[in-house]
Amino acid sequence: MNAAYIEKFLPLYQRAAILTVRIGIEGIFLAILIGLLCAIILYEKIPVIRQVVMVYVEISRNTPLLVQLFFIYYGLPKVGVRLSPEICGVIGLAFLGGSYMAEAFRSGLEGVENIQRESAYSLGMNRFQTMRYVILPQAVSTSIPAFIANIIFLLKETSVFSAISLMDLMFTAKDLIGLYYKTTESLTLLVVFYLMILLPVSILGAIVERRMRYAGFGS
Amino acid sequence: MSRFRKLAALGLALTFLGGLTACGNTSDTQDASGNAGSKQIYRTLDEIKEDGTINIGVFSDKNPFGYVDENGEYQGYDVYFANRLAQDLGVEVNFVSTEAANRIEYLQTGKVDVILANFTVTDERKEEVDFALPYMNVALGVVSRNDNVIESLDDLGEDDAIIVISGTTAETYLIHNYPNIPLQKFDSYATAKEAFENGTGVAWANDNTEVIAFSLQNEGYTVGIPSLGSNDTIAPAVTKGNTTLLEWINEDIKKLGEEQFFHKDYEETLTDTYGDAYKETLVVEGGKTE
Repeated sequence: MNAAYIEKFLPLYQRAAILTVRIGIEGIFLAILIGLLCAIILYEKIPVIRQVVMVYVEISRNTPLLVQLFFIYYGLPKVGVRLSPEICGVIGLAFLGGSYMAEAFRSGLEGVENIQRESAYSLGMNRFQTMRYVILPQAVSTSIPAFIANIIFLLKETSVFSAISLMDLMFTAKDLIGLYYKTTESLTLLVVFYLMILLPVSILGAIVERRMRYAGFGS
Repeated sequence: MSRFRKLAALGLALTFLGGLTACGNTSDTQDASGNAGSKQIYRTLDEIKEDGTINIGVFSDKNPFGYVDENGEYQGYDVYFANRLAQDLGVEVNFVSTEAANRIEYLQTGKVDVILANFTVTDERKEEVDFALPYMNVALGVVSRNDNVIESLDDLGEDDAIIVISGTTAETYLIHNYPNIPLQKFDSYATAKEAFENGTGVAWANDNTEVIAFSLQNEGYTVGIPSLGSNDTIAPAVTKGNTTLLEWINEDIKKLGEEQFFHKDYEETLTDTYGDAYKETLVVEGGKTE
């Protein structure tokens, strides 16, 4: 291990980490919105849109992120849509994450027993109120573990961004190995930086999980 | 209980990291002392002969030097030479596809015996691997679109990004000499070309052989800067300290010079792209540069 190189590499890794986190946050935020929307559409069995959502979920879940990114970054310009690598990264992450989040929320929604919905209706709540005050809070609570797992999964998936020339952590490490041949230093920093990003997420996730455990009628 | 588990997990993570750095240390000392480490990474000439197969790292996406054709066969100037090396050695050849940035690693970890992936000889690289005699001349070049031909790197605007491939001499050169030019880095030739054709970046910097080939194969592009930086050579590389293999390759290159092998190689693999115009400037015969 050569301390001089580590010092030299640090700013580059810092920049890469910021990029990784920024794209990660943007992509995951969009993924949550998409997922929530899709899950509610599936749960409420809205005709036609429901089928569209089902097709989307299957396409998104059964193709690798790398393929999706290639399609967005190298494929779309052929039909005149040119996006910056960063936007492609966000879109790719949102596209992939949306379906995973949808499945997580759907399992939460389906976990809420039907008797609660019926009770809400009989108390005079309308469909929206029932969803907003009875179903969703409990569904979100039960889907938190899957939700956290998805966030960690998506953050790790950012490591394929090098394919679309984004200087994320992985590409920075590969690039520095190619430039200075300091494999050990580059890879060690890579692991440290990924842990620095992901460990807090997973610890925070565990705390949130414990705090939000209020779902389940009568249990 | 839960706190204990968390502590245990943290401890495990630290141990893992510690292990990683420890491994790093040993490999570092091995690198520094060449083959003096307890375990030899490379295979000697005799070991390769005994095995009957030589592993040669080549490009799979750098037409016309090393690429895979429509039948799935490796082709190109480097590959033609690689096949001859294996034939002279009396062994089968196993091609290993490599990217620019991992050529040195492949040698240092023993994944390949020889790198024949258009590998430019530089002083920095010489510290990591051993180069044999050269078989090709090269300089850097910059290709740009016809509607905005870049003839000098000083003409570039602040936001004009240049495409480079990670781990190439073009990248190193631009980082050292033009640190203010924004670089857009790609990890393979295929993706860099695709992005450039899609309109990414104002220019693409690479080996001049490569950018000339690109402008000849694709319409609408001009090599505005045909020669940049120093004139370098391209040579086979072996793992540092693998002298038996290195010396044998050098002998073979000298021997091949007598039959003008690399001229024939050029005619077979490069004439389609370059015509005969670049033959004498590009080919290095018998390891002798003028």
